[in-house]
Amino acid sequence: MPGFLEQYLALVIFAALSAVIAIALLVAPFLLAYKSPDTEKLSAYECGFEAFDDARMKFDIRFYLVSLLFIIFDLEVAFLFPWAVAFHDVGWLGFWSMMVFLGVLTIGFVYEWKKGALEWD
Amino acid sequence: MYPLSFSIAHALPETILAVGALLLILVGAIRGEKSAPLVAELAIGLLTLALVVIFIGAKTTATVFDGAFIDDQFARYMKALVLIGSIVTLILSRDFLRRENIDQFEFPVLVMLSTLGMLMLTSANSLISLYLGLELMSLALYVVASFHRDNLKASEAGLKYFVLGALSSGMLLYGASLIYGYAGSVSFPGIAAALKSGPAIGVVFGLVFLLAGLAFKMSTVPFHMWTPDVYEGAPTPVTAFFASAPKMAAVAITLRTVMVAFPNITHEWRQIVMFISVASMALGSFAAIGQTNIKRLMAYSSIGHMGFALVGLAAANAAGVEGVAIYLAIYLVTTLGVFAAIVAMRVQGRSVENISDLAGLSRTDGWMAFFMAMLMFSLAGIPPMAGFFAKYYAFLAAVQAGLTPLAVIGVLLSTVAAFYYLRIVKVMYFDEAAPAFDRAPFAVRAVCAVATALVFCFWVYPAPIVEAATNAARAFF
Amino acid sequence: MAVSLTHYLVVAAILFTIGVAGIILNRKSIIVILMSVELILLSVNINLVAFSGSRADLTGQVFALFILTVAAAEAAIGLAILVTYYRNRGSIAVEDINAMKG
Repeated sequence: MPGFLEQYLALVIFAALSAVIAIALLVAPFLLAYKSPDTEKLSAYECGFEAFDDARMKFDIRFYLVSLLFIIFDLEVAFLFPWAVAFHDVGWLGFWSMMVFLGVLTIGFVYEWKKGALEWD
Repeated sequence: MYPLSFSIAHALPETILAVGALLLILVGAIRGEKSAPLVAELAIGLLTLALVVIFIGAKTTATVFDGAFIDDQFARYMKALVLIGSIVTLILSRDFLRRENIDQFEFPVLVMLSTLGMLMLTSANSLISLYLGLELMSLALYVVASFHRDNLKASEAGLKYFVLGALSSGMLLYGASLIYGYAGSVSFPGIAAALKSGPAIGVVFGLVFLLAGLAFKMSTVPFHMWTPDVYEGAPTPVTAFFASAPKMAAVAITLRTVMVAFPNITHEWRQIVMFISVASMALGSFAAIGQTNIKRLMAYSSIGHMGFALVGLAAANAAGVEGVAIYLAIYLVTTLGVFAAIVAMRVQGRSVENISDLAGLSRTDGWMAFFMAMLMFSLAGIPPMAGFFAKYYAFLAAVQAGLTPLAVIGVLLSTVAAFYYLRIVKVMYFDEAAPAFDRAPFAVRAVCAVATALVFCFWVYPAPIVEAATNAARAFF
Repeated sequence: MAVSLTHYLVVAAILFTIGVAGIILNRKSIIVILMSVELILLSVNINLVAFSGSRADLTGQVFALFILTVAAAEAAIGLAILVTYYRNRGSIAVEDINAMKG
C-alpha cells in the first residue's frame, strides 16, 4: 500500500527532523560547553527545597503568590482553545473580542509587574 | 442580530465603567501610590458619567448581546440606585481611608469593578450573564471587605465573606445547572416558555437552590450569618457600600429572575419569598435589640429591611414591584445617610463604633444628632419620614395580592424594630455626654444632610420617585 | 450497562453534597474549605456538561467554560485573602476564626 504510507510521509520527515534536532541539542553541550561543576549545580532541582526532606515542612508564602498569579493566566487558555478551533467561523467580531480579552489580561499583567509581584525579593 | 454599535449603545454605562476601570488600573500602576487621590476623583467622575448616561440615554427596551443582556426601564432605575450607592461610598471613603492609612488607588478601582458587576447583574437576562455579573460583583467585594489588610478584623471579615459567598455561588450554580437541564434553556424568557405547561420538579428544585444563592447576596434569613461580622469587620465606608449598592443589585436580579423566568410557577417561589421575608423581618427586629456596636446594629437593620422589601416581591404584581422599587430607593438614601454619620464618628483621630459613643451627641454636635435622629425615624418607619411611605407601598401591594397576614406581620415586626432605632435617638438626646467627635469633613456632613433632607421632604413631593418606580414596574407587566 | 444522564447527575449530586459537607463539617483548615468549594463547582460542571450532552445543546458547555475560569479567579482571591488572614492571625485553623461574635 504505497498510497497509505505516502500519506504519512510528512509525519516521518517531522519525526526524523525532531529526532535530529533533539539529539544535536543533547550532544552539542558535551562537545562545546565549558564545565565547572559545583555542589549547587549538581544537586537535584526541587523548586527551592531539599530533594530528600520532610514533605510536611513549612514553605515560603511567596510560592502562594506565584501560584495565584499563575492560576489566573493559566486558565484563560480555556477561552483561547475554543476560539482557536473555531477561528474560521467567529469572524472579525470574534477575532477582536479575543484581542480585547487579551488586552485586558495585558493590563492585569502590567499591573502586577509594576506592583513588583513578579520580583522574588 | 443587531449591529454591535446598537448593543454597545444599550450597554453604555457598563462600557464606560469597564474601559474606565482598566484605564485607572494603568494610571495607578504607572504613577504609583501617590496617584490614589487622582484615581479616586476620576472614578467618581466616571461613575457619575455612567449615571448621567442612564438619565439622558435611550428610554426604549432592548435585548442585546444574543439575549443575554436586557436594557429596560426597571434595569435603568435599579442601575441609577446602584451608581448612587457607589458614588456616595467613594465620597465617604476618601477621608476615612487616608486617616486609616489604607489610601490606595486599588480601592476606587475595585469599587468600580464591583459596580460594573452590579450593573451587569441588574441587566442580566440569562443564567450565564447572571452568574458572571454576580461573580464580578462578589469577587471585588471580597477584596474590599479585607482591604484593611493589616487589621485582623477586616481580614477575618473578608475571609468569612469569601467562604460563605463561595458556598452560596456554588448553590446558585447548582440550581442554575438543574434549571438549564430541566427547562432546556439558560435565557429567562426561554425558561418561562418551557414552564408554560406547569412546574417540572427538577426546575423547582433548581429554583430553590437559585433563590438560596440570591438570598445570600441579599443577606436575608437563613443566609444572613455573614452580615453582622462582615459589617463590623470591614472598614466603615466599605460597610456603607455593602449596605447599599450590592443589595440593590441583588434584589433587582431576584425580582427579574422570578418575574421573567418563573411567572408560571408563582405559587412555588412565592412561598419561599414569603418565608425569607418573614424570617428576615423577625430576625432583623429582635436580634438588633441587644447590639452595642452600631455597625452590627445596622447589619441586623439591613437584614430586616430586606425582609420588608421582599414583602412587595411576594405580592408578585405590578404594585408589588413598584413597592420594592420605592422601598429600595428610600432605604438606599437613608442607609447612606446613616453610614455617613457613622463614618463621622471619630474621637481624637480614632474611629469609634459603639452606640454608647453617640451619647449626648445633641449637646456636642446638634446638627449631626438631628440628622441621625431623622434618619433613625425614617428607618423605623415613623411618618412623615420617607421610611413610612416605603413600608406603606410595600404592604399595600401585599394586601392587594391577598397576603394580608404577611402585611400584618410586617407592621407588627416594624414596631418591634422601632424600639432599637428610638433607643439610639434616646441615647443621643438624653444620655450623659460622651467625648465629642472630631469635626467631620465637609463631604461627609453634606452626604448626611442631603440624605436627611431627601428623607424629610419625600412626602412633600414624592412624584419623581413614585413615577419612576411605576415605569420600572411596567417593564414586567 | 450504558452510562445514562442519571448516572452523571447522581455523581454530581454526591460531589456537591461532599463539598457542602466539607465546608460545614470541616473543623481543621481553611484550605480544606477552598478545596470543597472547588468540588462544588466541579460538580456543577459535571451537571452542565451532562445536560448539554443529553440535550445536544452547546450552551451548557459554554456555561461550564465560564465557571471553570471564574472558579480559578475565585480560588486566587480566596488564597490571597487567606494569606492576609494568616499574616494577621498566625493560624488558618477554622476554630481560630473568632475575632467577632454575636
